[in-house]
Amino acid sequence: MLQPIISPPPPEQPTTGPVAVASQAPAAPPALAVRRRWLEFKQPVSTSSKLLLGISAWILFLLGWHLAATSGTEANPLFPSPVDVSDSLWNLFAERGFHSDVLASLQRILISFGLAVAIAVPTGVLMGAFPAVEAFFSPLVSAFRYLPAPAFIPLLLMWLGTGDTQKIALLVLGVIWFLITLVCDTVKQTPVDFIETSRTLGGSRRTILWTVVVPSSLPGIVDTCRQMLAVSWTYLVIAEIVAATDGIGAMMMRARRFVHVDDIMAGILVIGALGLLCDLAFRGLHWLMFPYMRRR
Amino acid sequence: MNAALEIECGGLEVARLGKIFPGRDKPVIAVEDVSFRVEPRQVCILLGPSGCGKSTILRMIAGLEQPSSGGISLNGNPVVGPHRERGMVFQGYTSFPWLTVRQNVAYGLRINGDAYALREGTVDHYLERVGLSRFADAWPHQLSGGMRQRVALARALATTPQLLLMDEPFGALDAETRWQMQELLLNVIRKERMTVVMVTHDVEEALLLGDQIVFLSSHPGRVRTILHPPFKSDDAICTRESLRAHSDYAPMERDILSMMREEGHNH
Repeated sequence: MLQPIISPPPPEQPTTGPVAVASQAPAAPPALAVRRRWLEFKQPVSTSSKLLLGISAWILFLLGWHLAATSGTEANPLFPSPVDVSDSLWNLFAERGFHSDVLASLQRILISFGLAVAIAVPTGVLMGAFPAVEAFFSPLVSAFRYLPAPAFIPLLLMWLGTGDTQKIALLVLGVIWFLITLVCDTVKQTPVDFIETSRTLGGSRRTILWTVVVPSSLPGIVDTCRQMLAVSWTYLVIAEIVAATDGIGAMMMRARRFVHVDDIMAGILVIGALGLLCDLAFRGLHWLMFPYMRRR
Repeated sequence: MNAALEIECGGLEVARLGKIFPGRDKPVIAVEDVSFRVEPRQVCILLGPSGCGKSTILRMIAGLEQPSSGGISLNGNPVVGPHRERGMVFQGYTSFPWLTVRQNVAYGLRINGDAYALREGTVDHYLERVGLSRFADAWPHQLSGGMRQRVALARALATTPQLLLMDEPFGALDAETRWQMQELLLNVIRKERMTVVMVTHDVEEALLLGDQIVFLSSHPGRVRTILHPPFKSDDAICTRESLRAHSDYAPMERDILSMMREEGHNH
């Protein structure tokens, strides 16, 4: 059910473990100390070690990339090194006004996702709360969920033209069906005891919906939104490949025409970074909204 | 108050109650022809082996299930659905995790728009009754199981129901906490002079808390006998030890346990 989630790549423990050991090895281990083993089942890792392992994974990755790109006798334009990519990233922002592309993309994501949430959350909540509403919407939503959103591009182009409306419509179509289903599933998990407790205290249907069902499923709904926003970012490039003049995806398609692989890679990097920032923003929102879920 | 009137026509009346569930192959008779009365300020215990329909009876009194036959009335008014006049404490933990302890206790008053009670310290009164004043601003997940059940009890009491229903409220607690909770509950219902119907399968709990024990047999649930233990009305008994020291306790416990065993053997 869950769609791919853009989140920081997990540190690759098996490959980085031994390296981290080497870089951390103390000069002289004290006698009688129990030797700590790095590969231990289910053994929690301290925060500092976790950070170290995660960073070393990135360093290894960049190092490997750099060595592979610069190993040949002459620079290969199809495989630029990380240094080239960071150069072109700087160049894009400093001299070629890339920030307006980034803003255009961000705007599309925010508007489309806001629309999708505004439609999907109320629908999903009603479906999860009332089986009759679910029986009505579910066959429709399930069917649409299996239709790939990009398949609608030709239709959307004819109906909505090549402007922003078409791109936003595609982004909405890409996430809304999953959003509805996931919100509905979350709401259905409201414990029946909570609902019955409210009924015995005199809660009406409307009261139970607003004071039990919604607050009980809200943390799950925010989490679902966080995950589906990641999916939105994956559809962004598809939306901006077709008939777009601005946006991160459009820049990457232009760069392809002139074989500017470093620009394409810079674009990928920016999308990744923005996705990560969105993810962090949602995590922060979750932390702020639900103080009772913070663990001691 | 109009106590005289209440004694005349008040109380809970359960008359020829029956419940049939549509089973997979054939309908299952869960409760058949159950009748009993609970006078105001009395505690009635529904006791019996598993499968005797005691929880179903309680849920019908709460209005959460519709009876298939017979009827229920409280103070002369027929029960047709859930109402704040009948508060309920469930077996599972039902404190809302998104509300603090105080907000949980205030919940019933809030949804009923009872601003007067909220202002006049009703919430604080019941928090104190169940010994949770110090934890008023804690989140439920920070509390132990026994404390969470005390939150549920205070929340059910705060709307001042005419009848308090409890469905094995201490069933999920460890033995030590159970005794504490039973003693606390005894203290609370004596002080608040509550009318209570409580489901349990713990014989000691039944004898400590009940003015009346409706003993049910199983498959289908029927009233086998109704007992009237003297312990709850005896103010000298307020702990488990003093209950056990009473000369009537051991024979009553023995009788009930042997009935429980017979019921168990029948199936």
